[in-house]
Amino acid sequence: MITVELCMGTSCHLLGTQELMDVLDALPAEQRRQLEIKGVTCFKNCGKGPNVRVNGVLLESATPDSLLEVLQTSIEQLEGITNSAGN
Amino acid sequence: MPEINEITKIRRKVLTEIAQMTFEGRLQTDVANILHSVVTEEGPRYRCCVHKERAVLQDRIKSALSQPMNVSMTEAANAALTGDIADTPIIQVLPVACDQCPLDRFIVTDACRNCLAHSCIASCPKKAISVVANRSFIDKTKCVECGLCKRSCPYGAIIEISRPCERACELDAIAAGKARKAVIDYEKCVACGACKMACPFGAISDRSMIVQVIQRIKAQERVYALLAPAFIGQFGVQVRPGQIFTALKKVGFHETREVSVGADAVAVEEAREFAERSQESGSFMTTSCCPAFVGMVEKHLPSLKENISSLVSPMVAAAMEIKKNDPAGIVVFVGPCIAKKGEAQKYPDIVDYVLTFEELAALIVGAGVNVTEMEAGNFASAASKDGNIFARAGGVLQAVENVMGQLAPEVAVQAERCEGLGNCKKCLQEIEAGKRPANFFEGMACTGGCVGGPGVLTDYRVTTRLVDNFAGAAPEKSAVTNPKSGEIGKLGLHRTHTAHAESPTD
Repeated sequence: MITVELCMGTSCHLLGTQELMDVLDALPAEQRRQLEIKGVTCFKNCGKGPNVRVNGVLLESATPDSLLEVLQTSIEQLEGITNSAGN
Repeated sequence: MPEINEITKIRRKVLTEIAQMTFEGRLQTDVANILHSVVTEEGPRYRCCVHKERAVLQDRIKSALSQPMNVSMTEAANAALTGDIADTPIIQVLPVACDQCPLDRFIVTDACRNCLAHSCIASCPKKAISVVANRSFIDKTKCVECGLCKRSCPYGAIIEISRPCERACELDAIAAGKARKAVIDYEKCVACGACKMACPFGAISDRSMIVQVIQRIKAQERVYALLAPAFIGQFGVQVRPGQIFTALKKVGFHETREVSVGADAVAVEEAREFAERSQESGSFMTTSCCPAFVGMVEKHLPSLKENISSLVSPMVAAAMEIKKNDPAGIVVFVGPCIAKKGEAQKYPDIVDYVLTFEELAALIVGAGVNVTEMEAGNFASAASKDGNIFARAGGVLQAVENVMGQLAPEVAVQAERCEGLGNCKKCLQEIEAGKRPANFFEGMACTGGCVGGPGVLTDYRVTTRLVDNFAGAAPEKSAVTNPKSGEIGKLGLHRTHTAHAESPTD
């Protein structure tokens, strides 16, 4: 699983958290299943939002594109591990 | 929802920084720092250079302080801190920011092959097209912008461009002026905010009273936040209404009230007025709660002015109740709307300030408060379902019909409703010409109604659903039986009863 923690705080909300949620909702079902999405109230990084933490790594000033890029890398890594484990 | 692009982010960062500096008492000394924190050397660049971006930002800051463009930043900050609101239009073009978009509507592109057929030349009724330098050339002195050449070209090599601000304004109130910069015609403008949302350079801005409001809060005056019914979900889809009330208390507001209580009273009084008017044959009445719609009728369809309901808006009704019980209280209306800033100017003794949801969120963040970390408490709407659904398109009509069903079921309501000023105008013209039978009309300037206004933070389709859920859960079931609406109704809600009703907008 890939853990995606979205900051729902007011500062990040102003800077576009909802757009990030929309982009996660729009992912294909098989990718979406690999994500554990959580909401958090604050990462104490206000003003540089929207902040997202993917597998423990903070992504600040996130945009739908930058979040998808990080997720894609994480998903590929995860699939790589699963595949090699299968072999 | 307004797309959260770079312009939106810059605007919100500016408002948040201004709010934070004001709360911390350092706006006067630090205002120029915003130029460096919002526009950094590293970019991203969207103008020619960092200097141009900072020049534009200065204009944005002055607009956010409700000060004219020709004063220095420090002067602007000082004036705003003393509570001054300059007598400038609610919405204006920031001179440095307007990118002077091209005027020519039809342009021959590189895709022109100088073909043998020359359909463009053949199609032009004004003989405005000739071949120059191996390509079709449109002589602007002859062109009448009919568009036939564009349609005739087999390569699609002639394109049509339009200025986003002009295209967005359904009342033809903005056009290119000298040096191709956009100019707003205030005789036609109703401050709906459509051009502001459309401009890709963020060159159109409404002025903000955020600093002036914070100063009143800091002076420990009794400042009331009066939330428009569209407030549900604005601070995050999962945020509960009670959390917003707790946050506003923590920020320093004396109390928070719902505009929807005023909407309950307006629904009842408007239904009464409608029943009364409908005794005359051929009667026709429109709603009066949307200030941009009212402005459109007054400025563009003056023959229908008398058909607008004589009722004040729910904002004014709810504010009147606060002022009655606490004459020294300061009323800050918070809503999705820019046009309300103009409406409030007509009632200077009733509504003191207007903020958008965007501005309020910036104020909350500036105060160091995070709504998601607040307790929700036991919160239930003081208004009925009727008043709460005013927030979304079709809601005012539905509320008035509900009330009519209870108070005057014998009166037939033949209603029409429209969203968008262009649609409203067209529909009203058809009703006036007798082409469309109707005796009641709900007019909303924004798509989706108030939840689709320019000052919202959440997509209007989401908010519409949340508003309906919230309205359905209201303990009071009807505007007629809500005792609160009866009390407000007694305050005299007809515009003729209020002193400043006839002063012009802006």
